[in-house]
Amino acid sequence: MLSFDLHKRKFLTVFLLLLFAWSLMGVNWQEGVMHSSGISTAGEIFAAMFTPDLSMDILLLAAESSWLTLAYATAGMSLALILALIFGILASGVLSSGKRSRTLMKGSFRGVLGFMRAIHELVWAWLFVASFGLSPYAAIFALAIPYGGILGRIFADMINDVPEEPIKALRATGASRLQCLFYGYLPSVKNSMISYTMYRYECAVRSSAIMSFVGLGGLGYQIQLSLDDLHYDEVWTFLYFLIILVVIIDGWSNMLRRRMAQ
Amino acid sequence: MSEKNIIEINQISKNYERKIALSSLSFVVEKGELIALIGPSGAGKTTLLNLLASILEADSGELLVDGKPMSQFSDQKKRAKKIGIIRQQFDLVGQLPVIHNVLAGRLADWGFFKSLFNLFIPQERQEATTALKRVGLPDKLYERTSNLSGGEQQRVALARLLMQKPEIILADEPVASLDPARADDVLDMLTKLAKEEHQTVIASLHSVDYARKYFTRLIALKNGKLFFDLPADQVTDKQLEELYQLKELS
Amino acid sequence: MKKRRSPFLTFSFYAFLLLIASSWYFVIGIKNASLTELFSKENLEYATKFFKGLLGVGQEEIAFLNRDSWSDAFKLTVETLQMSIMAIGFSTIVMFLTVIPAARNVADGTLTLSRRWYRWFVFGLIRVSYIFSRAIPELVWAMIVIFIFKPGILPGAIALALHNFGILGKLCAEVIEDTDSRPIRNLASAGANRAQILMYGVFPTVLPQFLTYILYRWEVIMRTTIVVGFVGAGGLGQEFKLSMSFFHYTEITLLLICYLILVIIADYISEKSRFFVK
Repeated sequence: MLSFDLHKRKFLTVFLLLLFAWSLMGVNWQEGVMHSSGISTAGEIFAAMFTPDLSMDILLLAAESSWLTLAYATAGMSLALILALIFGILASGVLSSGKRSRTLMKGSFRGVLGFMRAIHELVWAWLFVASFGLSPYAAIFALAIPYGGILGRIFADMINDVPEEPIKALRATGASRLQCLFYGYLPSVKNSMISYTMYRYECAVRSSAIMSFVGLGGLGYQIQLSLDDLHYDEVWTFLYFLIILVVIIDGWSNMLRRRMAQ
Repeated sequence: MSEKNIIEINQISKNYERKIALSSLSFVVEKGELIALIGPSGAGKTTLLNLLASILEADSGELLVDGKPMSQFSDQKKRAKKIGIIRQQFDLVGQLPVIHNVLAGRLADWGFFKSLFNLFIPQERQEATTALKRVGLPDKLYERTSNLSGGEQQRVALARLLMQKPEIILADEPVASLDPARADDVLDMLTKLAKEEHQTVIASLHSVDYARKYFTRLIALKNGKLFFDLPADQVTDKQLEELYQLKELS
Repeated sequence: MKKRRSPFLTFSFYAFLLLIASSWYFVIGIKNASLTELFSKENLEYATKFFKGLLGVGQEEIAFLNRDSWSDAFKLTVETLQMSIMAIGFSTIVMFLTVIPAARNVADGTLTLSRRWYRWFVFGLIRVSYIFSRAIPELVWAMIVIFIFKPGILPGAIALALHNFGILGKLCAEVIEDTDSRPIRNLASAGANRAQILMYGVFPTVLPQFLTYILYRWEVIMRTTIVVGFVGAGGLGQEFKLSMSFFHYTEITLLLICYLILVIIADYISEKSRFFVK
């Protein structure tokens, strides 16, 4: 046991390296992996990075698409938050009384949350578009479900990590399960919940940008159009807008988290 | 300048912002002496040790090691052969097995590839085992260092010093976070090993009892000045009382 | 006594309310999206038809009951797995190459106890590259990469790696920033140079944490492999898109099953390994 503990890391390292080597064998290296003009295209794309298209039309279009992306992300996230609160609280099992019903509840709702987040948002989007047609709701629901799943799972974990003693004290005063939730559990996890939601909000903006793939507009859609026309300078304009959007939200959420930690 | 003087400190001063940490301090250390630095906290013990370790630089004055100014030891590898440091127990890399923490004492002599190779197949195992035997931990070679108790970790640090073989050992509160029995143990071992290896030790201690018990010479600092500098057996209780008095009697 | 809230928090709270309200207003008011229309009879018919298609109701060839389709799907599954491992491998390599100078305590010299004027410059450069990498979604990377590389799992892996090295780099740089500097100072006093400090002091301390992050990102990558496949970057995703365009609905079901299995396995491994690494 002792020597295993010592060599564990070496074995693990070797195993992971072998795994990586195996994955590389999946590529057909002989036939060449690039297009014949691949390197020159790469050069062009890289060069365009320093000369983004800053004409008025493109800037306006980029601003409009950014707003669309942000709006979908925000709407989706607000819905995800509601989903996460409902499912997260149910999956934490604090509402059920008996031991058996608690395990049952935890198991089943955690399973639901797992399923929600297992499928990527774009796949959800595709399923929605295929069944409902193109509608902003397809994008919003597609964002809300997986993000609801991720948030819900984390919320459930947070609620389960709340120390038992204050809750027991509350119970002793005769509070019901629901009252315990509102006066005991939720206040103690509120800040971490907001922090985590903010962190995920940034990811949601990125996801929202790629909803274009199923034809739902936004920054990703414009990037795709410009790429198809080989207008790399426009691509970079949209990319810069996306980067700025993400950086702003990241900065905001960092500031918010720091203030709340005080 | 005597051949035997390994450290010479001449009128050394150090200020932080406005606060005086050390003011024109002078003393000479001979090779093989076991010196305890005592004095109330804030007296400048740690500053003095940091100056000797060349972590800090003095504002004025002269500091000679082996007759040469500190600036000649700017090369880390050279300095490590001259001066070794032991602090509280947080000096070891907890995630590594004990043997690597001991062998880290040899890093000054090893090149890049030998040190890298050593992490996979430990080199100089014989020496490491001997060192661990001498500090009384012969069977902990492959234990994770963070699993050891505080006293044991401090002994591993001593074993590292045995591998490093510096001429001078600077010990900054080496037993500050240990219980009395462990502290006795570690100090006993430190001074015993230093005698065997003909090393010079300068240790800062918060406990006068330990200082008198294990060291040959006591240097007391107060407010950055030398308060007394006497052989351990000549220090009187009255002097100690004055040293630790909160306010000087006017 | 009531704790006074900082004005920034209050501002953020109202800003968010405004943002949410205007987003919904935009969706409902300007885009004219209506929920009731969504559940119109027509749409309901589409939806039932679509889901029936997925389940293979009334179809002759049902892919998920067909042995050959399963073996094809299995091949794709293995390919997808390879793509994910390659992707995390690439991003780990890039992360390792850049993470040391990207840590703040290396840049200001407190960790390695050596100061160089160019450290801050390198630090800034790497951090900016992390931001670029992170902010651009993997699908957009894939769209760009596919212009340069031939379709297959390699461009998919590269796109995923391009997005993930920034995330991994940022997380791991923070781990280095949190390391205890005391053992490292002591190593330096024992005569270790910069490389030796990294080998003996920094890496042993941070690697377990790195590994958890790497596994966590691998789990996320696994989930995203299907998406980069949509633009022709190989694996299950590419086939998924093809089946979508040919309306081979039962095949989609089969691919989704394979995908779910992969995701669940990745989830399980990453969860379990967290205990193993400790």
